Amino acid sequence: MGRNSGNSGVIGARVQTPQKQGRKGQKQKGQAWVAFKRFLTSIKKYRGWIIFSIILAIGSVALSIMIPKFLGDMTNIAVNTYPEIDFGSILGLVWLVLGLLVGSAALNYAQAYILTIVAAKYTRNLREQIIDKIARLPIAYFDKHKYGDTLSSMTNDVDIIAGSLSQEITDISLSLSTLVGAMVIMLSISVPLSLVAFIVVPMSVVVVGKIMNHAQKFFELRQNTLGVLNSVIEEDYAGQLIIKANSHERESLTDFKQTNQKLTNITRKAQFLSQLSMPITATFTNLSYIVVTVVGGMFTIQGQITIGALQAFIQYVSRFNRPITEIASATATIQGLLASTERIFQFLEQPEEAPDLEPARVVDDVKGAVEFHNVDFSYLPDKPVIRDFSVKVIPGMKVAIVGPTGAGKTTLINLLMRFYDPVSGYITIDGVPTMEMKRSDVRRLFGMVLQDTWLFSGTVEDNLRYGCQSASLEDIKRAAKMCNVHHVIEALPNTYHSVISEDSDNISAGEKQLITIARAMVANPPMMILDEATSNVDTRTERLIQDSLEKLTHGRTSFVIAHRLSTIRNSDLILVMRDGAVVEQGTHSELLKAGGFYAELYNSQFAEN
Amino acid sequence: MLKLFRYLKPYWWQVGLLILATGGQTFATLQIPALMADIINNGIVKENTDYIWQQGLIMLGVAVISAGCALVSSYFSARVGANFSRDVRADIYRQVLNLNLADTKDYSTASLITRTTNDVNQVQQMIMMMLSVMLLAPMFCIFALVMAVQTAPDMSWIIAIGVAGIIISAIVILGITMPKFKIFQKLIDKITLLTRENLTGLKVIRAFDNEGLEKDKFDKTNNELMRLNIFLDKILKLEGPLVNIIFNGTTLLCSWVGISLLNKDFTYLGDMSAFAQYVAYVMMSFLMLSILFVMLPRANVCAGRIREVLNIKPKICWKVETEGVPDKQASIEFRKVDFRYPGAGEKVLDDISFKAQAGESVAFIGSTGSGKSTLINLVPRFYEATSGEILVNGINVRNYARDDLIRRIGVVPQKGVLFAGTVKSNIKFGAPKATDAQVEEAAKIAQADNFIRKLPDGYAAHIAQGGTNVSGGQKQRLSIARAICKNPDIFIFDDAFSALDMKTDARLRAALKPVTDEAVTLIVAQRVSTIKDADQIIVLNDGKIVGKGKHFDLLKKCKIYQAIVESQLSEAEFKKEMRRADG
Repeated sequence: MGRNSGNSGVIGARVQTPQKQGRKGQKQKGQAWVAFKRFLTSIKKYRGWIIFSIILAIGSVALSIMIPKFLGDMTNIAVNTYPEIDFGSILGLVWLVLGLLVGSAALNYAQAYILTIVAAKYTRNLREQIIDKIARLPIAYFDKHKYGDTLSSMTNDVDIIAGSLSQEITDISLSLSTLVGAMVIMLSISVPLSLVAFIVVPMSVVVVGKIMNHAQKFFELRQNTLGVLNSVIEEDYAGQLIIKANSHERESLTDFKQTNQKLTNITRKAQFLSQLSMPITATFTNLSYIVVTVVGGMFTIQGQITIGALQAFIQYVSRFNRPITEIASATATIQGLLASTERIFQFLEQPEEAPDLEPARVVDDVKGAVEFHNVDFSYLPDKPVIRDFSVKVIPGMKVAIVGPTGAGKTTLINLLMRFYDPVSGYITIDGVPTMEMKRSDVRRLFGMVLQDTWLFSGTVEDNLRYGCQSASLEDIKRAAKMCNVHHVIEALPNTYHSVISEDSDNISAGEKQLITIARAMVANPPMMILDEATSNVDTRTERLIQDSLEKLTHGRTSFVIAHRLSTIRNSDLILVMRDGAVVEQGTHSELLKAGGFYAELYNSQFAEN
Repeated sequence: MLKLFRYLKPYWWQVGLLILATGGQTFATLQIPALMADIINNGIVKENTDYIWQQGLIMLGVAVISAGCALVSSYFSARVGANFSRDVRADIYRQVLNLNLADTKDYSTASLITRTTNDVNQVQQMIMMMLSVMLLAPMFCIFALVMAVQTAPDMSWIIAIGVAGIIISAIVILGITMPKFKIFQKLIDKITLLTRENLTGLKVIRAFDNEGLEKDKFDKTNNELMRLNIFLDKILKLEGPLVNIIFNGTTLLCSWVGISLLNKDFTYLGDMSAFAQYVAYVMMSFLMLSILFVMLPRANVCAGRIREVLNIKPKICWKVETEGVPDKQASIEFRKVDFRYPGAGEKVLDDISFKAQAGESVAFIGSTGSGKSTLINLVPRFYEATSGEILVNGINVRNYARDDLIRRIGVVPQKGVLFAGTVKSNIKFGAPKATDAQVEEAAKIAQADNFIRKLPDGYAAHIAQGGTNVSGGQKQRLSIARAICKNPDIFIFDDAFSALDMKTDARLRAALKPVTDEAVTLIVAQRVSTIKDADQIIVLNDGKIVGKGKHFDLLKKCKIYQAIVESQLSEAEFKKEMRRADG
């Protein structure tokens, strides 16, 4: 171990690198190179600053690299002038070294400072790009991908980049220049001694590299096993009640123990191998000290070099040692960093929603006539979901969409809102094809109340204003009153300024539902899309909800995914869906008379025994 | 944190060896600078080649010993660390499975999972750090200090200056940044929250065309985060250059002081570089300790969270053997049962009494919070009744051995929960001895046979973790099949039919009839249509029974029941029902 702390003040950071590199896994060489090039392109904007910081790093090293040499010179002067030591010259050197020290530290800090700002801006931009991308991706993307993956990119991957980007650039530029500098000076002191050192030191790198490669396999394995164990735990905890209800504890524990033991064995090996790198490096460092001291001692006796030069040389051996191991560990971290950037870039490259037609058509003063013209649609190319579906909805009509669970009722909603576009055929609003309108304009024509009561964390007032930013508090209160939720809000500690969120428990599920209804009321759109939710709401609240929905749909063209018989019977048109397709359409009595699927459905559900 | 150390107890001799090896490693490593100084003083200066060789060989030996010790300590620290986390994890897991709903109700599943996985990992890392750094640093520090003072007692004051420099710079930097780290964490959490909202609210945001609004909100936090990030990093990045100055400055000081002492004693020539090396070791060990102090609070929080779970005392004790002989005939009886959550004032269930024999069904209806779910959870003792008696087959549930009671009860919860495995393994979950024929029979009754046969491998089809590869309705039907397969005396359906469409619901209930002939059926439901035919409907309100009887009786007598029925039917239908009730 050298006496020089090098550039990384935090030793602990090094200790953890094996885990980091294990987690990221090993990329194929070619892939890593592609990822690296992409990363370089993405950071192009800051190229000037990064180059400048590298120059500063080189400067910092250039200043400090001579310090051991001057310290050696001090010894030499002392030895040569002994016993009448020339303290004047030595003191001069002391000041020089001090100056170099401070200058080098200042440059070092300046380059770290620049990189800090670059890294912070870069990660901020990455976050911004991700959030923009989320807004521009088609809904289809999120139907196919778990949002946990996107969220993990935003948090874990960006954090990894934020945590290591500036550190790694600093480390590598400092290490490389130290390496070169030390080599030059060592050679200038003694070529044969340098050759001895150059042979011993890199051996440690080779050995450590081999071991780390091996360890990395175990770390990958460990990460996978940990994943398996995590999912076992997750599943069993979530299903705790079922395990208890079936006396399955023993079997579950046995299964768990098996995976737990497997993880333990792998962890043991991985940790051991990764911990080996420290003693091995230390041993090789010691070895190089010994060889240099012994061989150098001989040279000194033969008069080839001075004692001061030997002392300085020993210092350079440590300066030469450190950067090599540091570069080795930095490359591992960089692999992790590249894996993270790669995941982010892949997300950012996903095809976006097709751009809106230019110039888009605008429908003013919408009446609410909606028409499906021979619409074909499929989520997967070979599995048609809706075939040749046509329907004409006249303004003010109430359309009920009914069918068993999983029949694809939301598909119709997706098409109406242009979350998806038909494969062929088209939908018109007041005669204008929605495909020729801007997506945002189409969506603004509909108010949507879904089963999933999404509220963002913020005040009740802001949540209610969500669909119409210009609404006054009076408008909001009026809507809340109409939707029977005013008194609920008034009962909250800060009334309309109370903070609520998706999982807040200061209001019930039913009250959340009422708030989303009021939110749609504030937006006051010409048409409505509703998903009648019934579960988990007590009777009283359910009535309030029904009443509010009634008011909301009054006089508006509305599409309702209906569960309640009363809603279905009171609607002007019923679309019956089965296995993803619209199989029947008509009014209640028409459909009952037809004696088809609807009649069957109705009889099984509502008829008396 | 310290309390978790008891998990190291089984491995005491390994820890002992670890400490010995670490000591050996430290001692050996520290000999090298002394030997080097010796070579310079006695070998090079005196031009004694043999001595140089001899000491060089000794140095080599010391280096090998040091490496050997390091090997041993690495091995044991990896071993102890891995075993430690295995034991802690297994204990938490066992504890969570053994605890009852009443015990874990204050903890979310997510938080329990984090405690078992993340927190244990954090503590393991800390323990391993401690076993290496905590042991190594003080030993290093003490040995190096002794060696330094021995080498050059006149120069010892330099150590104090170097150490003081390290400590002061660490305190200043941490003092400024630490308080801001909490804000930093909050901003990170907020970014996560906003991203989550953008993802979960995808459709709503687009429906309201509010992408811009969301972006503005996000940008604000994002910029705030960036500014704080820059501020923190600016200060943290000071550490590297500062430490550099301190280390190199100390070396410089050693050289200068050493040289000025040369007139007194020429051996200072070799000693000063050895001394400088020792001082560097001392400062390094302080640096390592300061890192430990940064990490310790975080690990401590994790350890605290783990202990919290381990310290929960289960509130329900089971008999080892069932006391008394349960009737062959299925039956259930509640006698004046009260329930309140521990520490809570209000009763969740108040004076509940009812009785049912084999072949009968009891349905519970009432608004949310009326106590329906709590009531049925008392039967398998997921919760314990505060007072009163619950009898299953004539024996108080408290007198049952756990397995004996559980095998008599088939529970179907509101949410269909499945486990990774196959369709078959899931249906057999509560009845490991069931034959294939029994499994298929259960599936048929649960209206699941049809879709199972359509799966690629039929009954051997793979079920993903949490059953994510089957639909909600299918999950529910499989979990009903699981209960049927147990062939229990008592069926409990906790709002189990709500995920089914009404048609499947009706078919399933028809198929269930013959199976439940020999059993008591308890049903909790929201839909009146589901429970209309029950032999006994119990209407709950605020934990009290406000109505008991058959559908039409209740329609006549019970106001609350009327209100529930009215809310679910159209006016005309309701009137019709009422007429039938009267008729």
